[in-house]
Amino acid sequence: MLLEIRNLHVGYGDAPAVWDVSIDVDAGEIVSVIGPNGAGKTTLINAIAGMLRARQGQLRFDGADMTRVRPHGFCERGIALVPEGRRLFTKMTVEENLELGCYLPRPRAARAQSLERVYELFPILRQKRAQAAGELSGGQQQMVAIGRALMAQPRIVLFDEPSLGLAPTIVDDMFDIIVRVRDGGAAVLLVEQNVIKALSVADRAYVLEQGRIVATGLPDELMKQSHIREAYLGV
Amino acid sequence: MPSATLLGQALISGVLAGGMYGLLALGLSLSWGLLRLVNLSHFALAFLAAYLTYELGTTYHVAPWWSVLLIVPSMFVIGLAQHWIFVRFKVNELGSLLITFSFAVMLEVGIQLYWTADYRRFETHYATWSLKAGPFYIPVLELILCLVAGVLAWGTWLWLRKTYVGKALRASAEDADIAAAYGVDHRKLAYLLSGVGAAYAGVAGTFIALIATLAPAQIWAWLGVVFAVVIIGRLGNPLGALAAGMLIGASESIAMAILSPAWAPVVSFSVLIAILLWDPEWS
Repeated sequence: MLLEIRNLHVGYGDAPAVWDVSIDVDAGEIVSVIGPNGAGKTTLINAIAGMLRARQGQLRFDGADMTRVRPHGFCERGIALVPEGRRLFTKMTVEENLELGCYLPRPRAARAQSLERVYELFPILRQKRAQAAGELSGGQQQMVAIGRALMAQPRIVLFDEPSLGLAPTIVDDMFDIIVRVRDGGAAVLLVEQNVIKALSVADRAYVLEQGRIVATGLPDELMKQSHIREAYLGV
Repeated sequence: MPSATLLGQALISGVLAGGMYGLLALGLSLSWGLLRLVNLSHFALAFLAAYLTYELGTTYHVAPWWSVLLIVPSMFVIGLAQHWIFVRFKVNELGSLLITFSFAVMLEVGIQLYWTADYRRFETHYATWSLKAGPFYIPVLELILCLVAGVLAWGTWLWLRKTYVGKALRASAEDADIAAAYGVDHRKLAYLLSGVGAAYAGVAGTFIALIATLAPAQIWAWLGVVFAVVIIGRLGNPLGALAAGMLIGASESIAMAILSPAWAPVVSFSVLIAILLWDPEWS
């Protein structure tokens, strides 16, 4: 198992936001975590990216315990985040944002090939590479955020609400890209409110509500459950 | 209205004097813009370096171009030590003002204890050298200061733009958590930058020793104008800091020539206020 989460508790100050969560992601998989706003999805993904410290439970990546690794050590082991709201370095150019993705020595050595790969995936970014990232449209900024993650040569990419705030036509493109990222060799953990899309690309899925995993299974099975149909699909 | 020659001379002297503003602003701008630490003791460190240059020069007859080789690395280490205190006490932007103000007062007292409150002047035979270009005089020391400030500002700008460390510093200034998620160890880089800022104070101090008369209370003399320069030059922008320094130096000098010397202190903040009125998002 590439990513193994067991009984993880994460919180801010005294307020726990994620309770007793167990999730697995294997190499080559797309795993979706769906759930409503405020369920703790971003908290969970930030803990996996090393930005928040778990207060209890296990977080193992490729067999290694990650709970004591400092935040800047997560990327080195192959975890890359596409954060909610993109969080680009808005005053820096598109290319500089991508270069930050390959900051560490190993991905830096492959800078040229990785850049070429990102520009092939998102040709528009090649044209805009000298422009400040903050000046781009929402969809283009999302491309930079994904490109930045790919520059790190990750073994798993964590997507946090990649469709949020994007036009519907671009949302479809984003999910195509997510599948291509997986086909390129990285596992994907996807956190989404867009339940139909998130389930359609996933190999397996978890349902997170009020900080707890309430259901898990194959997307088709989850789609059939009445609770999920009522709460998320409105049928 | 003064003559064209006088105005031209005022402009040249002003730009050259502004090189000192720019040089002092450089280190301040870096730590404020990229680390969100406002280092009021920057001026006191510069004066400590100036007094050391004076002491080495007068007591031990060490030429300033040799003493600078000792002073700059020492200042770098002092910068690291200062940063250790910032980290140890988790100092934020406002806290940095208070804590570095106390550093500055302590340094001022220390300087006064050792060198007394008397005015000190490091006399050199080259202090008054100047070049003549047509009707204008160009003081050599201040010209060298401007060249050094230019090289440092340009080098720092390239460092921030072209190297991974520089890019990581700029990225961390905007979103430290995300930069860390991509492997940036901000703590290490922050130490480096604090050291570099203090080292720049050391360079400035060497020139202060050669150009100015030293007294402990003088550490506060440039505070206001250099703060204005840092903001006009945009936080964290080394070339902006130098350009703003020269702009303010020239404006002060012209104001002194046209109006009266009493107007000089008004200039820097007038320019700053004008810029902020024009674009409140400046800096």
